[in-house]
Amino acid sequence: MLGPFEYVRALSLEEACRLLREEGESARAFAGGTDLLVEIRNGIRSPSLLVDIKPIGALSTLEADGADEGLRIGPAVTLNRIAEHAALRQKLPALSDAALSIATYQLRNRATLGGNLCNASPASDSIPPLLVVDAIMEIQGVDGAREVPLDCFCTGVKKTCLESGEIVSGIRVPAIAAGTRTAFLKQQRIKGHDLAVVNLAGALTPDGLLKISVGSCTPTPLLLEPIETAGHSEDAVSEEAVRLAAESISPISDVRASAEYRRAIVPALVRRLVHDLVKGGA
Amino acid sequence: MHTVTFQINGERRTETVAPTMTLLELIRDQLHLTGTKEGCGIGECGACTVLLDGAPVTACLVLAAEVDGAEIRTIEGELKNGQLSDLQQAFIDAGAVQCGFCTPGMIMSARGLLNRNPHPTDAEIIEAIAGNLCRCTGYQAVVDAIRNASRPLTREARGLRDAESAAESGGESHD
Repeated sequence: MLGPFEYVRALSLEEACRLLREEGESARAFAGGTDLLVEIRNGIRSPSLLVDIKPIGALSTLEADGADEGLRIGPAVTLNRIAEHAALRQKLPALSDAALSIATYQLRNRATLGGNLCNASPASDSIPPLLVVDAIMEIQGVDGAREVPLDCFCTGVKKTCLESGEIVSGIRVPAIAAGTRTAFLKQQRIKGHDLAVVNLAGALTPDGLLKISVGSCTPTPLLLEPIETAGHSEDAVSEEAVRLAAESISPISDVRASAEYRRAIVPALVRRLVHDLVKGGA
Repeated sequence: MHTVTFQINGERRTETVAPTMTLLELIRDQLHLTGTKEGCGIGECGACTVLLDGAPVTACLVLAAEVDGAEIRTIEGELKNGQLSDLQQAFIDAGAVQCGFCTPGMIMSARGLLNRNPHPTDAEIIEAIAGNLCRCTGYQAVVDAIRNASRPLTREARGLRDAESAAESGGESHD
């Protein structure tokens, strides 16, 4: 049994923000529901009001077509739409692969990008690929709009900087230089659908700047200091990335893996990611 | 309470639903279409898979209040004029049903797959049913059934699943 809670369909951003503000902290924006309804059922959250943002058409747009432009993804775009969008895969395959790795086909028909970001799980698969391309969260509130870099959006385990009455209105990725390679890797317990033990994403620009994000090893997914790769061997770049990752992570033991195992596999995964990016498949 | 009007298996319905009611509860407890099963209730097992506007979803994680204007298909919609659908028959022929609890969800996932991709590869079939757990048969017979339904065989050739059957691929899809 769920609830009790009230449910309302918001028809505009303004209405959604107003409803969320009026109800206060016990209101939740509702999109795919694949995390929120499970949390309600398990008694982790008990919201008094769910504000369904899916009827707001502007939140389901996906712009990825401009050759020299970046991406703009509405928060209510489903993970299957992201996984199957050809122009998006062309520009940011790491995000396509990450979306495809989340849960099952049925859940991806409901689960949204905004939901995955706002759920703010340390093991979120969509955050690392967006961190390495400097994604920006567009946030709408009752009193106006603001923008927050994704790197500052998550403030802790399952916590974001969203204030009461605010919702994410868009996820924007600045122009990605032609020739930039991105890749996503995920270590999981079983071959089918599973949450990540460790997940990571990388982006390597044509002029040799390497950005790596490591998930599931810190309270919020981690963006490492950028690495200049020009003039350095793959081994040297790998070892620098491994060093940066090892000194930045603080993994915990949980139901999926021990802290020791996470600490042990991060170097291997970082080397594999660097190899993929340098040698070019992705 | 919310009033929602929707199509289910081609029939137009208007229902009054509580804000906390799931689509699964609406289907089973209010419409008495009990072919759709509840397994885990948290989107993990796929037993409650239905098509919502053509897309397979787990009905346990959809609110009934959301389906105003939607088109829903359940396992009951597979039967046409008393005839089993291609997928239902293929599941029987391949021995893909044992206790049967996962079967409605399996068939709805498969229906969603064949609707968007009439001739899937085995890898595509496996991906499409990865969210449907079966504790009895294992999955090979299910994959066989879906593959067979996507490549209709003549009645005589049914059961002689070998290289010859591959040559008969093509043909029509359900609906």
